[in-house]
Formats: sequence, C-alpha cells, structure tokens
Amino acid sequence: MKANKHLLLWSSLAALAVLLWAAVDENFLRDWRVIQWGIQARLPSSQADAFTIQLRQIVSREVGATDRCVSCHVGMAPGESGIEGDRLFGRHRDVVHDPASYGCTVCHGGQGRATDTADAHGTVPHWPEPMLPKEYLFAGCGGCHTHLSVPNLTQLEKGRARFEQADCLACHKLDGRGGTLRPGGAGGQEGPDLSRVGAYGFKANWYEHHMEQKKKAASGPWVSAFGELSESERREIDEYLRSRVGAPGLSEAKALFHTLGCRGCHKVRGVGGDDGPDLTAVGNRDPGQLSFAQVQGERTLANWFKQHFRSPAAVVQGSAMPELGLTERQVDQLTFYVLSLRRRNYPEALWPKDRIRAERFGMREFATDGATLYGTFCAACHGAGGEGMRYPGFAAFPAIGNLDFLRLVSDDFLREQIKRGRPGRRMPAWGQQEGGLRDEEISRLVAYVRDLGGAAYEGDPKPRRWVEGDVVAGERLYVKACAACHGDRGEGREGPALNNRVLLDLATDTYLFKTIQNGRTGTSMVAFGAGSTVRGALTDAEISSIVAFLRTWEGKK
Amino acid sequence: MNNVVEKRNAGEESAVGRFVENLKAAPHRFTETMFRSGRPHSDRTRSTFVFGNVFLHLHSVRTHRWSLRWSATWGLGIAAFSCFFVLVATGVLLMFYYKPYPDVAYLSIKDIHFVVPTGRFIRNIHRWSGNMMVVIVLLHMARVFYTAAYRPPREFNWVTGMGLLAVTLGLSFTGYLLPWDQLAYWAITIGANIAQSPREVTDALGMTQWFDVGGLQKLILLGSEEVGEEALIRFYLFHVMILPLALVALIAVHFWRIRKDGGLARPVDADTRLGPPSGEVYPVFTEAPQKTYSLAAIVKGRTAVVGRGPEQTIPSMPHLLFGEAAVFMLTIALSVILAIFLDAPLKEVANPAVPENPAKAPWYFLGLQELVSHSAFMGGIGIPMIVLIGLGLIPYLDRETEGTGIWFGGPGGRPLVVGSAIFGLAAVVAVEAFVIRFGWIRQWWPNTPQLVVTLVNPGTLLTFLYAVYSVWCLRKYDSTRAGALALFTCFVCGFVVLTVIGSYFRGPNWDFYWSPSQWPGH
Repeated sequence: MKANKHLLLWSSLAALAVLLWAAVDENFLRDWRVIQWGIQARLPSSQADAFTIQLRQIVSREVGATDRCVSCHVGMAPGESGIEGDRLFGRHRDVVHDPASYGCTVCHGGQGRATDTADAHGTVPHWPEPMLPKEYLFAGCGGCHTHLSVPNLTQLEKGRARFEQADCLACHKLDGRGGTLRPGGAGGQEGPDLSRVGAYGFKANWYEHHMEQKKKAASGPWVSAFGELSESERREIDEYLRSRVGAPGLSEAKALFHTLGCRGCHKVRGVGGDDGPDLTAVGNRDPGQLSFAQVQGERTLANWFKQHFRSPAAVVQGSAMPELGLTERQVDQLTFYVLSLRRRNYPEALWPKDRIRAERFGMREFATDGATLYGTFCAACHGAGGEGMRYPGFAAFPAIGNLDFLRLVSDDFLREQIKRGRPGRRMPAWGQQEGGLRDEEISRLVAYVRDLGGAAYEGDPKPRRWVEGDVVAGERLYVKACAACHGDRGEGREGPALNNRVLLDLATDTYLFKTIQNGRTGTSMVAFGAGSTVRGALTDAEISSIVAFLRTWEGKK
Repeated sequence: MNNVVEKRNAGEESAVGRFVENLKAAPHRFTETMFRSGRPHSDRTRSTFVFGNVFLHLHSVRTHRWSLRWSATWGLGIAAFSCFFVLVATGVLLMFYYKPYPDVAYLSIKDIHFVVPTGRFIRNIHRWSGNMMVVIVLLHMARVFYTAAYRPPREFNWVTGMGLLAVTLGLSFTGYLLPWDQLAYWAITIGANIAQSPREVTDALGMTQWFDVGGLQKLILLGSEEVGEEALIRFYLFHVMILPLALVALIAVHFWRIRKDGGLARPVDADTRLGPPSGEVYPVFTEAPQKTYSLAAIVKGRTAVVGRGPEQTIPSMPHLLFGEAAVFMLTIALSVILAIFLDAPLKEVANPAVPENPAKAPWYFLGLQELVSHSAFMGGIGIPMIVLIGLGLIPYLDRETEGTGIWFGGPGGRPLVVGSAIFGLAAVVAVEAFVIRFGWIRQWWPNTPQLVVTLVNPGTLLTFLYAVYSVWCLRKYDSTRAGALALFTCFVCGFVVLTVIGSYFRGPNWDFYWSPSQWPGH
C-alpha cells in the first residue's frame, strides 16, 4: 500500500517532469526560436519591437513548395528587410526567381518543411535530397531548365576569348565582371548586363547597331573600346552570348560534357548510347542509396561523383567505364554538370521555354555543328582528334581519323556505318531509332570526321565485290597472320571484329584488300603487302584469298 | 410588501444572505454530489466510493490479498489498458493533423514532426505506447498461462484475451502504414504478401486460377493488388475506428468476465499460503458475517465469500485502486520518457519503384517473416494457425486443478519450464544455424516439388521438435498441464529467437549477417 503510493507519486512526478521538459523544449529550445531571439537581440530597439518571434514559411502551390527555411533565414522571408551582410538575417541576393514566389528548395534542395538545422539542410539519414553545396549551387537550375545548343568546350572558350579580346567587358557586365565604362558618358546609359542574355535572347543585328553608334560618336568608349569585328568573330561571340544563361560555370561544365564524348555511352533525356546508365536524373540520386564502401571522405553525392570520375571501377564494382585520366578541374566540372541532371515534376504550364523547346519541339541540348557532335558522341572512344583510344583493361578503339582509312571509305560508307553501328560491339547504331541522331547531324559528323584526317575518298573503279580467291588457303593465311589480333573466328581481340555483319556488308572488296595490303599507318595494323624483317610480304593472290575467306563469315554469326 | 420589510428586519435569514451562503458552499457541495457518499474514510464509505462510481464499480468492493501482491499479475493487464488509454488520447490528437492520402500523409507527418506544437513528442508517445502495448499484451498472456489462470471458470476470458491480442496486433499493423514512408510501405507490402502465402499451396496444387484464397486475402487487406491509396484509407479506417471500437468492446467483456469469474485466479489454499494478515493492513474485516450473501447465489459459479467471513479481503479503495493508479502512471511515465529521448522513425516518402532491401515487417512479425523465408505458406498461415488453435484449446484441454494461481504451477513446475526453455532455445538455434550454414532442400535439390518444401522446412521441423518434446513431457509427468507448459515455453523461445534473428541478423536479400555494418554497400 505504502509502496504503491510511493510508486504512484514518483511515476507521476517523472511523467510530469517529462511533460514540463517537452513544454520547455517546444517553447524555448527549438533551433528557429533560438535563432530568431538572436536576431531580435541584434536589431536596433525600434525594429526589435516590431520583430515577432514566429514560424515563417513560403508556400508555393504551383511548385509544391512549403519552405520554412525563412524561419531561420528570416531576412529572406517576404516583407522582412533584413540586416546587410548578416548570415542569417541578410537579404537574398537579387535573383530572377523571387524566393517569395518560388520558395527555396526548388533551387537549393534540402528539406523545406523541416525546422531544425540539420533536418532542413537535409544532411540527415533518410532525406534523399540534401542541399546543393555552394560551389555547385547553379546545378539547381537543372531541376527545371534545359540549356540548349551548348557547344563543346573548345568553341565556348574560343568565344569567351573573342568576347574579352573585343573588349566587350569595357561597357558590359558579365557574371559580375566588367561594365566600368559608360558609353553614354557620365550619367548616361549603361551597357546592358549580359549575364543572362542567352536566356532572353538578343538582337541578331547588334553589331550593325553598335557600328551606327560608333559612327555617330565623337569620343568616349564608342570610339575607344569598340572596333570592327569579322563575321567569324561575330559568330563566335554570338555562340558565347547564347551560353550566358545566368548560371556561371554550368554552361562550361556542360560544354566539357559535350567535349569528352560522354553521350557515346550515356543517354541524357533520350539521346545517347546504351552502354552506360541513363544519366537523365542522376543528379536526383539519393546519397543514402549509394555505396560509399570504396569512397573516402564525406557521404555526399558530389564526393561520390568525384571519386567515381577519378576511378569508376573502384567505386562501382565491375563498371564498364574506363578511367578517363581527367584533371581535377575537369572532375570538378563534370561533377557540377551531373549534379544539374535533376528533374522536378511540375505542371507543364510552369515549364521554362527552354525545357518546352527541348522536350516538345525536339531542340538539341548540344550544338549541332560537326565538332560539337563529334565531341558529344564520339570523342570518348575515338579520341578528340580521331586518333583512337586505348584505356587500361579495354580493347583498343579504332582510329577513325586515320588517313589510310579515310582514303578507302566513301562518305556513304561513313554515314551508313554511323547509322548502323557495329552490332554486338561497343559502337552503337546512331540511326533514327530512339537515342539516335538525325540525318543532317550524321552528315555534319561525316564531314567533320573526313576533315579530321584531311583525306578525300580516293574512289574505286571496281565493283563492290571482285575478289576471287582460294578460301582454304585464305583460312590458313588468316590463322597465321590475322587471328592473333582479330580472333580465330574474326570475333575481335586487340583488333576489331571482322565477322561483324555491318562491317562485311559495308566494306567493299577493295576496302578489305587495300587495308590488308597497305595497313593503317600509326596503328597496330601493319602493311602486309610489304615484307618486314620477321615476315615475308603477302602476294596479291594471297591477300585475295584472305578476303575471300573473310567473306565466308557473311550471313553467319 | 409588509412581509418583505419584516423579513428584512429579521436580518439573519435574508435571501441575499442565503445566496451568499450557498455560493460559499457550492464547491463543497459539488464534490459531495459528484462522489455521492463523501470522502472514503470508513469501510462503508470506501465501499460506496467504489460501487457508487461508474468508472470504479467494475471493481469488487473488497479484494483478496492474494490478488494484491505484485507478483500475482505484475500489473500487466492494467498496464496494457493504460497503454490503450494513452494511445487513444495521443491518437485523437494526431488525427487533427493527419491526412490519409498517399504522399500527403507523409507530408502531414513531417508537419506533425516539425511544426505542430509538441507534435513530434505526441507522435513519439503514440509510437512507444503502441510498441509497449504489444509487448505488455504478450507478457500478460504469458503471465496468465504460467499462473494457470485460464482454468475454469476463466476459459472464455482466455479466449477473449486472445481476441484482444489479435486486435492489438491489428491496430499496430494498420498504424504502421499510416506515415506512408518507405519503412511503412514495404513493411505492409511484406505483410500483405504473408497474407497471400496460401498461394504457395494452391500454386503447387495447380488450382490457383479457380481457388485463389491467398490472392483474395491480400485483396481484402489492400483493396488492390498493391499498397496504394485504397490500402491507406482502409488501414486508416481500421486503425482509428473499427479496431479501436472492437478493442473497447472486447475490453468490456474481458473486464466484466474478471468480475463474474470471481476476480483473479488464486490457489485453493491461498489463505494458508498467505498466513494471517499483518497488523499494518487496515482495515481487515474479521467479524463473522452478519449478512447472508444471498445475492451472490444468483451469480453462476462459486463465490469465495459464501458462508464465510471475507477475512482475507481488504477494501479495494484504497488498496487496489492505488496499485492500479501506480501501474497506470508508471506506464505513462515509461512511454513519455522513451518518447522524449527516442524519435519515432520516418524514412523517405514511400516509393513503389525503390524496394527497401531488406524490407522488413513490423518487429512482432519478424519471427513469422523468418519462417516465411523458408516457406511462405507454413510461415504465414500454417504455423500461426497451429499456434492460435493450440492456444485457444489450452483451457479446454487442461482440466487439471493442481497449481492454479501459482507461477509455473502444475506437475513439473519451475524445473520443467527451465528445461523446456533450454530445449526450446537449443532447438531453434540449432535449426536456424543449420539452415544458415548449410541451406535447405531447395539449395541441395533445386527441382524438389514445392509441396515437399512446404511440408518439410525449418519451420515445420521446429514445430515438430517442439511437439515431440511436449508429448514426451506430457507422458513423463502424466499431465496435460506439463505438456502445455513445455510447448508454450518452447514456442515463446522460438518466437523470441526468430524475432531477434529477423530483426538484427537478416540483411539484404534476407541473407544472414552478424551486424548491419557488414551489409554490402554500406
């Protein structure tokens, strides 16, 4: 009885104490309350009275955001004035997308509904989308936007150099630089800020317009800073300006992606090869679902990507992606770009025009000149200059810029080859099917590849099939001379597969004959028509019989 | 007119004076009218305090000293009821903010967690009380079994108790889905697949297309082929209305039957075992009965006090009621202490495209899930049915009288229970270790027909071992109670070990791991 009374007393007191603690915790210890008190204390007394301690939030029904970030970052809440330079009470930088109507998480990521610091920043278990790190902030643009016609990095850099050489920065601002001179004189008109000129467009006749102004002017920057530009210079500047969409660094990162040939294996929004994983939403991946067993350092998506780019197979067991030998800067840029490959699902009415152009009108994200197409789809395997590639652990990739090769193939051969690929090998078919290229794009690619070697097709007066040879002798010779590289059944080893359906269909007898006879300079394929110290020369008849033997594989697997 | 003036002159009994007096007396009178018989000072008022109160009159006015010892019950029944009380209170609060629709449900839980004042705390209490209730109900059942308290006239209340266990598990299971996170979604998917497990047998017999009882069970459970909005609204309705009402009804029957069955079970010689009451216990009713207990005669069964003074009973108020209040507050204290330190889990929003690996059912079903991994039908339906039928039959098969009301009472007693525990643990650990180390029929002979695996698998082997051991004990002690003690103890051991293995030692693809740190990809 007495014991029960004691038990009742103490358990009641314990429960009461916990309830009191819960009340104290709720009213005095919540992160956002403590922060708002701190802000109130720093405000001048007149403002401090008007400052209410309360939960603040931005609700945007359209984008589905309920963001309570402004409960701590109060200065960014609608209607708050903020303190200049204050980390938590400072105002948001002026941006096109007003936080008051779009919320915060749309661009920054994180957990908008949370009111505790770690939860809100999303750096807690079971929150799939932590905030984007500051250095990759503009990757957030990729949630809605699709930057179109981005050229390869060489061209973009050329455009930037041209833009700076032409001294455009004298009057124009771009990504926070330049704009020191006023073309209209003191108090006159400023040069427009060009940081986002690619997003809202510019007049095609800007150059003529500038020239008129220059003619009218007697002094000042119109005379001192602006000079004549050639048409090619103007084209390069135009290209550069189109890439200025208010996301500094992101266009360059995307341009690098269009230089290294990543889409040869990876699809992004439906265009690209099938060898690697589709990257369309790879920036949305949940770090909690990734294996960090072989990744040192912090468990963030950015760090995972970086280590993966340095050494893919070390991070993902059995990865078919070679080590690309990237510089740290390239690793950084690629990480930036793949983080921007994120997708949010909004009603179509909210789509920006670039996304509508890309997804409804089929506009390309990559520029469709030959160089960018080659950089986007081919460079990873065939090398930036068509010299072929050799990655540790992978069979060598053919040098398609080789002179001996280009002399023997017509443009039709190249076009058909690109369209049909090499079934069963890593070369995909790039024809009209899903993920492929359009006819005019393939034509530009063919022209570009032709230019890589700078060799024209030497022509072939003979019919496509003219060889007659002894198949048995051919097989004997093949086993002796060719099988070591091309495999016993032509399945390909160090050298390309010769039993390939598309190859045997496209290759003329002349092509096969001359390739064996003359070899390919600079590759492992030597000229068998000429002897060497270790091996006698093959006669024309012998080469013919080898070709005849190769033809026996036609129609077989 | 004159009259009024006269009265005013008289002074002491004016209307205003009486009004003021009445006003002063109002609080006192309010208390008096509320409790009808005033403060419980005497035996008489203590009695009226109990039977004059709608909430307390379910108790008898006097309670036997045997029932008041802590070791008689450990207060488990009241503790389970306290959990339910807390769950209703916190559950109603949560209902103000919870929105039962996919994805929206998840967001509303996030809001409860982050924005609703003390919402996180309330949800934690709800979660901890829910888990505590499952544990306490299981312990309560074990207590009733080991004290042989299911014996006549309490057989039916044992069956009612089993109903309460089922409803409790149902409540916990339906509540599991409501947060609509990955944990919830895949746990319920697993649960629904367990419900579908008869298909293993119908498939093996090739009759699924005519008689798909497994598919039907799953369809009834989920309202659809997959866990989705139909399942959510269904689970919600069951969780907040149908099952709580069923539980309240069953609790009413359960409590009422405790009274009607003569209070808690106690041994025939309880009075001698207790000895004379100590002098501190006050007041003990020692006089010879002045009344006959004729009213008791219309109640079916014997009552302990007929023809004899209730010398071993003491007033329920305060002795029993303070004990119950203490258990009630202790349970609440435990749940709020757990709630303030440990947050209820909330993972990513449910995503049908990304299965959790391993996907685990709620913890109390993990023993079953372990068995299901060997054979879906036996783990999901066969063995649970055997266990449920066996439990339900216990009071009807054990008609002995030895050891009623005594812990581990009956032939064999405590040594038998200890021996059974050792055997039960050894058997389950041995069978599981064998399967984990060497695999089972399917790994050795991949083409074995499914029916063979359904009949011969680690679960059925274990059940068979337990049954054989229990029959051996039954023959050895020549007592059904001894067999029941052995079997029940074995199944408790099996349940505990399988649940622990399922909870802590099963990783991705239900493979065995010593700890989660060895899971691939972590």
